[in-house]
Amino acid sequence: MVTSTSAVGRLLPAVSSLLRPLPADELREYGGIGLVRGKRVIDVGCGDGRMALGVATYASEVVGVDPDPSAIRLARAKVRELGVTNAQFKVGVAQELPFADEHVDVVILSWSL
Amino acid sequence: MVDALKEAHRILGPHGVLIDARPDSRVVAYAERKTPTGTYGQAGVIATAREELANDRTSDDAVATAVKNRWFRSKRSGRFWHRVLFEDRPAMQRYLGDHARFVHRVRWMVDIATRRRWEGDAWAIRRAVRYELLERS
Repeated sequence: MVTSTSAVGRLLPAVSSLLRPLPADELREYGGIGLVRGKRVIDVGCGDGRMALGVATYASEVVGVDPDPSAIRLARAKVRELGVTNAQFKVGVAQELPFADEHVDVVILSWSL
Repeated sequence: MVDALKEAHRILGPHGVLIDARPDSRVVAYAERKTPTGTYGQAGVIATAREELANDRTSDDAVATAVKNRWFRSKRSGRFWHRVLFEDRPAMQRYLGDHARFVHRVRWMVDIATRRRWEGDAWAIRRAVRYELLERS
């Protein structure tokens, strides 16, 4: 597994999500599903959508953002495979998020900062 | 990193929550062998690579700046542990060889003969994750 660098920071391969905690376990540690239930959630540095898709069950809307187009393609494929309707994924960087001011309720930086 | 936090502050509504979670390099990770009873026993210590320690300090500084600038206030923080599982010890060693976060050599707590005997057993790296919930000011 190789870590590379770019102008936007470190790019980590999406497969690294396999080495991370299950989203449900992670969410429980942070305080439980109440943290995201019915909320608009942005997952910054979402990779292949591990955490974003994990919270999509509870959130009203989830958007994952990652600078790696191949990771976003994987995340979108998962959305189609799982039939998730309230999650979308965009290529973008944490320094310039494609959202209006005061647009969301929760921002997740899970293994991203 | 500070720019990313400033951007998170911009898009969050009043009292919105930022969740910052990342590996906790303030504590070591452990190489653990799965025992026949299904529990895990510590067999070695794995330190964080120097470059990653520097990255983590930069992240800490960024969060401190965001709090100092009153973009956020800390609501809660903590640490939890999780295991990355491997089918055997060579698989774990390959992971350590390829992965940038940890140093590549385990500081073993068991002798080489024991390690050889356990070579084909399931192994895990147990590592800490730190998190902080920050409320938008």
